[in-house]
Amino acid sequence: MDDSQARKFQKDLNAGLVALVLLAVLAASSEDLYGYEIAKRLQKASAADALFKEGTIYPVLRALSAAGLLTSRVVPSYAGPPRRYYRITDEGRDLLKEWRRIWRHTRDFVNRFTEGTPP
Amino acid sequence: MSSNAPRSIDDYLEQLRAALEGEDPALIQDALYDAEEYLRAEVAAHPDKSEPDVLELIASTYGAPDEVAAAYRDTEVKVKAALRTPARAAADHESGARRFFGVFLDPRAYLSLFYMLLTLATGIAYFTFVVTGLSLSAGLAILIIGVPFFLAFVGIARVISLGEGRLLEAITGERMPRRPVHPGPRTSWWSRIGAMLTDTRTWTTLLYFLIMLPLGIIYFVSAIVGLSIGGRLAIAPLVLIGRHAGWLGEHLSLFDITVGSHYWSVPSAGSVLGSLLLCALGIVILTLLMHAARGIARAHVRLAKALLVEPGA
Repeated sequence: MDDSQARKFQKDLNAGLVALVLLAVLAASSEDLYGYEIAKRLQKASAADALFKEGTIYPVLRALSAAGLLTSRVVPSYAGPPRRYYRITDEGRDLLKEWRRIWRHTRDFVNRFTEGTPP
Repeated sequence: MSSNAPRSIDDYLEQLRAALEGEDPALIQDALYDAEEYLRAEVAAHPDKSEPDVLELIASTYGAPDEVAAAYRDTEVKVKAALRTPARAAADHESGARRFFGVFLDPRAYLSLFYMLLTLATGIAYFTFVVTGLSLSAGLAILIIGVPFFLAFVGIARVISLGEGRLLEAITGERMPRRPVHPGPRTSWWSRIGAMLTDTRTWTTLLYFLIMLPLGIIYFVSAIVGLSIGGRLAIAPLVLIGRHAGWLGEHLSLFDITVGSHYWSVPSAGSVLGSLLLCALGIVILTLLMHAARGIARAHVRLAKALLVEPGA
C-alpha cells in the first residue's frame, strides 16, 4: 500500500484531534505550559508512535488562543526567544468537556465497526 | 530528503523560510519564531549531543521544514475561514445604493475612522520616541552607556511595531505578525548592534514611526473636517425645527462661517426644502468619509506591512 495514502488518512484524522489533545494536556496541567514543554509531554506519553509532528502544535495553539480557549503570557528565556506560556480558559474547559463527549461517542461508534461485528 | 537535511538551526530556519516562500510575511515571521523557540530549547536540552545530531532527532519529532510549513499553511486557512466575517461575501451582488450606504453597517469602517482619529496621538508619540531615542543614542555613543541604550531603543521600537501591527489587524483584518522578530542567537553586544544597524527593517520601522506624525495629522484633520461638516449639514432639519420651536435662539446659526473678515452663510438653510437638501448633502459627505476611512486604513496597513514586516521576512 502507498505510504502517502496512509499519511494523508492520518492527517485528515488529526485535523481536530490535535486541538483536542492540546486542550486536554493544558486542562490536566496545574501550571502554565509553553510550546516546547507541551511537545515534550506529548513525546513522553507517545514513545515512538506520535500521531503528529510537534511542529504542528504551535499554529494550533495560536489558533486556540485566538478563539479565546487559551490565554497566554510571554516570559523571557535564556535559551532562546521569549516563551509564550499557555493556560486553558473556562470557555476552553467547557468546550473540552463537550469535545470529550463527542470523542468518546466517535471512538465507540467507529470501534463497533472496525473492532467487532456490527450489531 | 535526507541529502539536504538541515545541519544547524540556521540551516533549518533557512529551509523553513524557503518552504514558506510566497506565504504571508506575517505568517512566515510567526512560523520562524516558533521553530526557533523549539529548536533552541531542544539543543539546550541535549548538551551532550552536537547540533547536527540534535537536528537529525528534530526531523522526526518537530518535523522536517516542509512538513512544518504545510501545518502552518493548513492551520492558517482554517483559522482565517473561521474568523472571517461573512458579511463581505454578500457585498458583491448588491445594488449600487445599498453598497454605498452599506458602509454604515461595516464595523471596520467605524474602526478605521477611529484609527484615523487615534493616529494623531500615536503619531506624536512615535515621532517623539524615535527622535528622542535616535538623538540620545547618537549623543551617548561616545560613552559606554550608548550601546545598551541603542539596543534597548531598537528593542522597544520592535515591541511597539508589533503592537501597531496588532492594532491594524484588529481594524482592517489584514494578517500582521503575532510574534516579534527574533533577535537571533545571543552573541556579543557589538555583533548584535552591528546586526541591528545592517538590518533594513530596523530603519524602515523607525521611518514608519517618523512618517506617522504627518500621516496622523492628515488623517486626523480629514476625519474631523469630514465629521464636522457632514454632521453639521446632516442635522440641518433639526436646527430648523429647533429654531421654529424656540429652542435655539435666532442668533444661533449653525450655517454661518466667519473667517477673519470673510463671511459665508447658507441662506436657504432657513427653508424646509433647503434644510432637507443640506441634510442629504451632509449624509452623502458622511458616507463618503466612511468609505474614505476604510480605504485609507487599507492603504495604510499595506504601508505598515511594507515597512514593519516585509524587509526581514
